Amino acid sequence: MSDVVIFGILWIVFSVLGELGAKAWVDSAPQGSGPYFGVASNVGLVGVHAFDFLVWVALPIFVFVALMIVFSMVRFHVRKDSPATGDAPAQFRNNKAFVGIWVVASILINVLIWLHPNASGLETVFAAQAPQNNPNALVVDVTARQWEWIFSYPQYHITQSLNAAGQDVLYLPVNRPVKFVLRSYDPFHAYDYQIAVIHGFWIPAFGIKLDVVPGETRQLYLTPTKLTSTEQNPMTRVQCSEVCGPGHPYMEANVHVVTAAQFAAWVKGQQAAGN
Amino acid sequence: MAQRQAQVPSPPELRAKARRPMVPVFRAVLWATIGFVVINAMAAWLDPSPNSPYLPAVGAVAGWFGGLIGWLLGIGGYEHVIRPMFGHPAPVSHSTGWRQYFDFSTNHKVIGTQYLIFSTATFFWAGLIAMAMRFQLMSWRPTIFQYPQNYLNAVGIHGTLMMFTVATVAMIGGLGNYMVPLMIGARETVFPKASGLSIWLVPIGVMTVTMSPLLGNWTTGWRGYEPLAASDGNGMLFYYLGVFALTTSSLIVSLNLTTTIIFKRTKGMTWNRLPIFVWGILTVSLLNIIWLPEIQAAFIISLLDKLIPFNFFNALGQPLGYAELFWLFGHPEVYIVVVPALAMWNELLPVFTRKSLFARPMAVLGLVFVMMLSGMVWAHHMFTNMRFSEMLPFSFFTEMISIPTGFAYLAAIGTLWKSRLRLTTPALLVLMSMFNFLIGGLTGLFLADVPANLQLHDTFFVVGHFHYTIIGGMVFSWMAAMYYWLPKFTGRTYSEFWGKLGAIWVFITFNLTFSNFFILGLRGMNRWVSSYPHYLMSENFWTSIYAFLLGAGFLLNLVHILWAWNAGPKVKENPWEAKTLEWHTSSPPPAKNFDVLPEVVGSFYVYGDQVPEPVAAASQIGGRAPSV
Repeated sequence: MSDVVIFGILWIVFSVLGELGAKAWVDSAPQGSGPYFGVASNVGLVGVHAFDFLVWVALPIFVFVALMIVFSMVRFHVRKDSPATGDAPAQFRNNKAFVGIWVVASILINVLIWLHPNASGLETVFAAQAPQNNPNALVVDVTARQWEWIFSYPQYHITQSLNAAGQDVLYLPVNRPVKFVLRSYDPFHAYDYQIAVIHGFWIPAFGIKLDVVPGETRQLYLTPTKLTSTEQNPMTRVQCSEVCGPGHPYMEANVHVVTAAQFAAWVKGQQAAGN
Repeated sequence: MAQRQAQVPSPPELRAKARRPMVPVFRAVLWATIGFVVINAMAAWLDPSPNSPYLPAVGAVAGWFGGLIGWLLGIGGYEHVIRPMFGHPAPVSHSTGWRQYFDFSTNHKVIGTQYLIFSTATFFWAGLIAMAMRFQLMSWRPTIFQYPQNYLNAVGIHGTLMMFTVATVAMIGGLGNYMVPLMIGARETVFPKASGLSIWLVPIGVMTVTMSPLLGNWTTGWRGYEPLAASDGNGMLFYYLGVFALTTSSLIVSLNLTTTIIFKRTKGMTWNRLPIFVWGILTVSLLNIIWLPEIQAAFIISLLDKLIPFNFFNALGQPLGYAELFWLFGHPEVYIVVVPALAMWNELLPVFTRKSLFARPMAVLGLVFVMMLSGMVWAHHMFTNMRFSEMLPFSFFTEMISIPTGFAYLAAIGTLWKSRLRLTTPALLVLMSMFNFLIGGLTGLFLADVPANLQLHDTFFVVGHFHYTIIGGMVFSWMAAMYYWLPKFTGRTYSEFWGKLGAIWVFITFNLTFSNFFILGLRGMNRWVSSYPHYLMSENFWTSIYAFLLGAGFLLNLVHILWAWNAGPKVKENPWEAKTLEWHTSSPPPAKNFDVLPEVVGSFYVYGDQVPEPVAAASQIGGRAPSV
């Protein structure tokens, strides 16, 4: 059998095996969110589906090149004591078909993955950010300072939501759109314009992050889709993702995604506590 | 130069006494100290403040420049640059043997070796810092770094040194300086004095960055993000100054090598015959010449912003302005790292496969197109803070740059096919580099995809990705080049057994270490943290164990190469039967490289039993006299 045929068969076999393994990985969490170890928001789902699609595309490419390296080491390897000395008998410096297919295929693959999942996914993300697609959104003002997350709920007159231990905490009702209004400044030292730095607002389980930039107000709409909490899944936490000074590792806050009834009860408690 | 010295004869013993007052490095340290103390004192006198410490911010910056000038004059700039300007003859360097590597030199091979020495030493120094970081990350709570700012300092020093002293220097300042003149058939470079001084900017830069915490902790990591940098400790100042010294060194290397490649090619060395590695050095040199002044300007603005302050980059100014300026340089930077590595693959593969380089024009065009596209992708480091309208064009160009990068694979794969592959240590390391960089490149697809990037950005997934490209791509190729050219450097060779063992060891431990980074990132491990949630501890613990084994593997390769350099078995000239010009002179090469300048008559990359030699025999060119 010629080398091309052997290589082709091996490529297909290993690619199929690889794709089966990839499928097991993708399906290891609901809605194909295996690579993200589960996703609990609508926009996070867009990201993980893009990730999944790229796994399908990248795997045969990986197998092709990696197999070519191993195949050459096994098939074209000449031992030191081999009688085959001197230059290789097959000498070719070009192969128009191979080069042509390579160039066309690499352009097509790159354009394809730019269109989908990138551009198509972005359209979904952009649409999810439109106010008219988020009726009755819960507004949460998020203030990042060195080094604390402060959450306010203006619709419910909660200035700074705290748990029983006095720590900042984020409560969200499930399946209701949330509008995060993100700002970076220090409300306790508002006179000092130099201490505001860039932070990153990230809840790993929600599958999305956005930087919080001093002097700018940014908005992020998303809808939590699962009942969860930091205690149940440590990926459900607010974590600063952009380095912001010595306190950066500790700049996190607990998150609770609860039912509408539980949320209403929590709001009452916060109001009663005068937060 | 040699002719002018011949006109001023003097007894050797007198000359030695008059011109060698002190070992150059010691004199340079002394003069640098004097320069620093004097200028710092002047700054303190001109700008007094009853509450200022002995070393105020302005004094540290001004004193640093005094120290820099003292250092460069002391190392040899005084005799070799300043005095000749006033008509004095340039002195001959007296140092021989190992001493010449601690002296000013105009010999490109000595300079190249000096760059390799400093890059290697810094690689292990910054690697040791990485080991300390990995030790800290074995536990979810502070152990050896009691305060996060100490850990973040370590992160910044590790990244800065690895980037500006190793990744962008070892293959350009080191191998480029040593090999490019040999490979194009030149006896010297165009700017030997500038080149001789440029290497001595490296130890200054390394020392400055290393000692920066003495001025105050800085926590930004190697990117120096504003506005955090402006409110961080004064160590930030030494970050800017250290990087300024290191980038100036690289800039001089690039100016020198570009000019040398344009003007010093031997007869018959047309652009179409230029070796692939030289093409790689030429393209990265152009990248350096375009982008290093840009980042230096950005750093000068940031330095002044910190000293004065101007409020350029805080809430009153434009906080993202610095990030734009940084990545405008920062993304071409990664191609400065990897283009010499891609070129190295296709330089070595024809030699070890005994087969003509496949699709050579594509391999060269790939390097050139990577260079041209690299300035159009920077904002993909900023998907989490850019406008929606910018996301589509930047993700587009980012995806597109994988096409010319792929041409390096196209040429390599075509060359491997139906070849006679001799699996020596350098060949093995090239194949490993191709495998590692493949993973680095394919994980780049995920990061270039904006919806996925919004989750992966600023996590260990990114850290894994760029270590796969830099260590996996560049460091493995660098090691391949060191084993390949060892017989050229020394006339000695290495042990195949220890070479292969070292290669396999670092390959396995590297992949164990950094594949875990991808999973850690996906599980929610963010960057720049010395403490993290407890659920990530077990995986971090094992990643650290693999990282320690990786460090030991690099040490094994270092010991082996040093042993081979000094005591390895003698080897015949051109043991690989390579065709390029550096193998057409003795090993190690004589001071002026070639007794008779070779003439190129064919391609270096065409193999086959009937193919004539690409270099005309010395008898055929009738002994052209050395034109110094």
